[in-house]
Amino acid sequence: MMWFAKDPVLMAASACATLPFLAMAVILIFTRQHRRVSAAISLSAITMCLLSAVYLLMTLRHAPGPVQYQWAWIISSDMIIPFGFLLDRLSLLMLTIVAVIAFLVQVYSLGYMAGDPGFSRYYAFQSLFAWAMMTMVIAPGMLQLYIFWELVGLASYLLIGFYYEKWSASQAGKKAFVMTRLGDIGFFLGIIAVLLGFGDLGILSMNEAAQAHKIAPFVVTLSSLLIFCGVVGKSAQFPLLTWLPDAMEGPTPVSALLHSATMVAAGVYMMSRIFPFFAASPDAMAVALAIGTITMLLASTMAMVTHDIKQVWAYSTVSQLGFMVMALASGGYFAGVFHLTTHAGFKALLFLCSGIFIHEFHTNDMREIGRGGGRKLTIPMVCMTVGALALAGIFPLSGFFSKEAIMGVLAGNPNKIWLLAGLLGALMTAYYSFRLIFMILFPREQTHGAEAHGSHGHDDHGHEEGHHGATFWAMAWPVMILAGITLVLGFFQKELEHYLLGAGPALHGAEAHGEGAGHGLGHYVLLFSAVSLALGGIVWAWFEFGRKKATQEGFLRRYPKVEALFANRWYMDHFYRWLVDYVVYCGFTNLFTRNDRRVIDGGIDGICRFTVGSGRVASFLQSGMLQYNLVLMVAGAGALVLFFVL
Amino acid sequence: MLMTAMEFAQFPVLSAILFSTILALLVILFIPDDRPKLIKQVSLGFAAVGLVLCLYVYFAYDTQKGGLQFVERFLWVKSLGIYHFLAVDGINVPMLFLTAVVLFTGVLTMWELEKRVKEYFALTYLLVAGVYGVFMSMDLFFIFVWYDVSLFPMYPLIAIWGSTRKEYGAMKLTLYLLAGSALILPGILYLWAVAGGNTFDLFELQRIGFDVHVQRIAFLMLYLGFGILAGVWPFHTWSPVGHVAAPTAVSMIHAGVLMKLGAYGILRVGMTLCPDGLVYWADLMALLATVGIVYGAFVGLAQTDLKYVIGYSSVSHMGIVGLGLATMTVDGINGAVFQMFSHGVMTALFFSAVGYIYDKTHTKMIPDLGGLSKTMPKASAFFIIAAFCGIGVPCMSSFWAELLVFISAVKTYPIRGILAVSGLVVSALFMLRVVQKTFYGEKNPKWEHIPDVPLFLASPRIILVGILVFFGLFPRLILDVIQSAVIPFVNSL
Amino acid sequence: MNSLTVYLVVGAVLFSLGLFGVLMRRNLIGMLISIELMLNGANLNFMAFNRFLAPEPAVGQIVTLFVMGIAAAEAAIGLSIILALFRYLHSINVERARRLEG
Repeated sequence: MMWFAKDPVLMAASACATLPFLAMAVILIFTRQHRRVSAAISLSAITMCLLSAVYLLMTLRHAPGPVQYQWAWIISSDMIIPFGFLLDRLSLLMLTIVAVIAFLVQVYSLGYMAGDPGFSRYYAFQSLFAWAMMTMVIAPGMLQLYIFWELVGLASYLLIGFYYEKWSASQAGKKAFVMTRLGDIGFFLGIIAVLLGFGDLGILSMNEAAQAHKIAPFVVTLSSLLIFCGVVGKSAQFPLLTWLPDAMEGPTPVSALLHSATMVAAGVYMMSRIFPFFAASPDAMAVALAIGTITMLLASTMAMVTHDIKQVWAYSTVSQLGFMVMALASGGYFAGVFHLTTHAGFKALLFLCSGIFIHEFHTNDMREIGRGGGRKLTIPMVCMTVGALALAGIFPLSGFFSKEAIMGVLAGNPNKIWLLAGLLGALMTAYYSFRLIFMILFPREQTHGAEAHGSHGHDDHGHEEGHHGATFWAMAWPVMILAGITLVLGFFQKELEHYLLGAGPALHGAEAHGEGAGHGLGHYVLLFSAVSLALGGIVWAWFEFGRKKATQEGFLRRYPKVEALFANRWYMDHFYRWLVDYVVYCGFTNLFTRNDRRVIDGGIDGICRFTVGSGRVASFLQSGMLQYNLVLMVAGAGALVLFFVL
Repeated sequence: MLMTAMEFAQFPVLSAILFSTILALLVILFIPDDRPKLIKQVSLGFAAVGLVLCLYVYFAYDTQKGGLQFVERFLWVKSLGIYHFLAVDGINVPMLFLTAVVLFTGVLTMWELEKRVKEYFALTYLLVAGVYGVFMSMDLFFIFVWYDVSLFPMYPLIAIWGSTRKEYGAMKLTLYLLAGSALILPGILYLWAVAGGNTFDLFELQRIGFDVHVQRIAFLMLYLGFGILAGVWPFHTWSPVGHVAAPTAVSMIHAGVLMKLGAYGILRVGMTLCPDGLVYWADLMALLATVGIVYGAFVGLAQTDLKYVIGYSSVSHMGIVGLGLATMTVDGINGAVFQMFSHGVMTALFFSAVGYIYDKTHTKMIPDLGGLSKTMPKASAFFIIAAFCGIGVPCMSSFWAELLVFISAVKTYPIRGILAVSGLVVSALFMLRVVQKTFYGEKNPKWEHIPDVPLFLASPRIILVGILVFFGLFPRLILDVIQSAVIPFVNSL
Repeated sequence: MNSLTVYLVVGAVLFSLGLFGVLMRRNLIGMLISIELMLNGANLNFMAFNRFLAPEPAVGQIVTLFVMGIAAAEAAIGLSIILALFRYLHSINVERARRLEG
């Protein structure tokens, strides 16, 4: 063990890759009955991870190249699947993000989940989630990445379906798992394609070889497209996007984690992880760009009509992920990663704020929350507005900077359609996020009864705050920290860019292309138009939801067909339902089951019946008279004797 | 340490394992009927002895050296060339371990048995003696004899202690399997006769070698014969019916170990002796295996009986074994053997978990159950973990097996490989559906009075989960053993 | 007619009488007795060949002793079967025992 202790970097990385797993095991096996101990174990594990991640980031900040550790996990013939750590700029950044968000969410959960009968189980799954995500982030090879990618899926299945006694929750968990699995099939086949076409699954070597055109272009395109399927599933891109809005059936802190730094971020992270590989195939990039754009627009339209506070943020996650994919697919490595970073912060913030509202008012409906007196909860209200401003991309919040970076990249694309789509998306984003804010801030009390209900809610709230102040503050502190991060993160754009792009000339090249087009006069026009569109969206939302005489109905109410289309998620869920019910159940399952019963079993039973029947026919020879049998026997023996002797 | 290892090498460990089961059978027969507790304790004791010996073999097996170890070989019938030939290599070491584990946990699982305890355990030991015999014999004659020894106790075990349509299930299973052995026997005798009729020794026969045409015919017979026991589509329908009818521990042994006997037979007898036959029929094998994988998962979707679900998942998983064998690559066969091991442990866990639920609720129909997680969280957790393993969640041992098989399958048979991989989505859907309908949902007032599984009764399941996770995290511990036999095997093809 | 032939003829007559009895008697005890007759016919043959032809005189006697042992065992088992059958059917008429009819 001496070598181990001598290398603090390795020790820190191993801590991230083992401690939360051990925490999960200990909680599940030993401390299920002791909730405080469970929470303490889980929290101390994630704190250790956070410290290790920060330590790694600080130590290796100026490291010239990536640091890599590998051990053979399995060896089968000439295929070696390593387990190890790849510590480079990207993975360290992501590791820190994950650790920070997971830590804050776990602290927040102390308040949110207090009193839940499954408290220990919750912390065990949280640890599993953190472990899977962190080990995935520092994976040096595609197979390790895939393995922990699947474990991330498992953990989110368990957490989405955490309230398993609720049918909709377990349904949502199942849907999430199966839909992401569908994408993962593509991912897995993509890995095999790389293995067959190139033979090495190390991320660094894949990226290098693809950039140096050492792999056949066909293989690169095919495997990029297949691997992108995994991103589509995990990051909820079109057409596999409908699991994510359902995933809010889990506890709200889980949604915060799931939507910001873990599950869905895994897809985009993986895409940036092998960005040079993707970039080597223009066709794959074009497909990804199209899919990202479609997703972004579709999800924005869905967010414009729902009244469920968490669902709005869920759709916005989908659309922001679409933005990230667009950025990456147009060559904007830094823009994509930067947006991933800022988004992790403000989306966690938004969900955690919503969680406080939901915890207080026991409803997800933004109108109910507004009527119940949501505006009186000052801290979450202010923080949520900060988050919404960041989401809309308003200066000087973090979202502004990252969105500008993306717009800059999109502007560099010769086809201006993508830029227009991006701007349209920005407009819609601002509209739907402030629709939510205004609906909570300025509730419409239609009747006197509602007013009474509102004041009642207020009393309730005051009572609760007095009752468990510690609970409230456990939730408020993480929110405030995240709000602080959201406020300042944007100003570190240059530092981050320098940090991320310091190495890797390949990344730099792609970036320069995007950046170059963004500079100059065009850059300012773009900046201006994007911000004004975002402001326009807010004003529009104000006009319809905020001002005194606003109906709070939204312009879509006038087009019921369109509204129904948006509200039903463009009938995608109906399509999947149909697919499962009619094609899978009534089609294959029914056909195969009948084949089993009728053809195979029927055939076998038929043979058996035939055997029994022919036995029955032959049994007529058997009279049961002992002496007839003897006579026959003697006669037979006599005949044989005659035959042989004569 | 070295000295003791040397001394042990003289000691016939394999015979000790084999004859300890027969001794157990005899001892149990001499214990009076009215002392069921003693019978169970003696059974457990012998199972523990077997487990310790198998563990010893597992760890004492030298993977660096490879090849046959712990060899015991002497002539038994000179005129026919029958040898008492016991040995292990990397392929059957894990199988022996699997058998011992499943036997041990199976005895623990049946701790609450009350009906005809003596006969039950006696027959179980007879069954296990047959299984051990097949797994360690390297002589065709004995492989066949032990194979039949392991088949025949199934009938009384199912017909007496079973449930749901037990006579039908027992009859169907026995007939199917006997049909299989009716194909194996002529196959073996054919090879023996062609080789001159003076040796049944597997490796001598391999050295003699056979003509291509002989190999084609013999391989087909052996493949179909052993394949029936391995649940190869379309000869799989005995498996769900039989598993449903059998009592818990018999299902565990049967699905966990006996089905592996079929796959092991294909590998050990068919593929060793008829490599050219394998090459000729590999396409068919891959096709049937792929159909089995996808088909089993789809049919599993429609089942309403928990044990039927597991039965069909076995069909699907055994398809993966078949696909791995058909690839004829090191990775594929590594994966297939690994899958044999992990599927054995996994199904044992499945049946063991269902066994407790069935004992307490007296139903295994999914629509009648529901919300079990609320009343018996531990008992449910075992089933759910097994389901995850069945889906192929990483860090469970069957994930690695499936990974290896699928990689080599896509390499060798691209279209069939991709189809098989897509089967994973269906299997995820069907496992999660069962988990959701059985364990999730509102608390069911019908089951509120049922106690959760106590620690002692949970212990077999804990052992099985431990093994699944352990080999999931440290797959090399088993894969290196398997590989030490598979690499020379593939090279000799 | 030499003496071997005489023995053989007597043996054949005994055997045939026994066979006739087995086939014709409906009484199970009668059938058992007839079987004894057949066995004794065979025994006689053995002894005759042993006496006149065999180079190794002990063989035929050993076989005969064997047959006698078998006959004793057979009588014991046969009688117990008959007893059991009688308890079940209240008759020792072989025509009543037709449970094996197809």
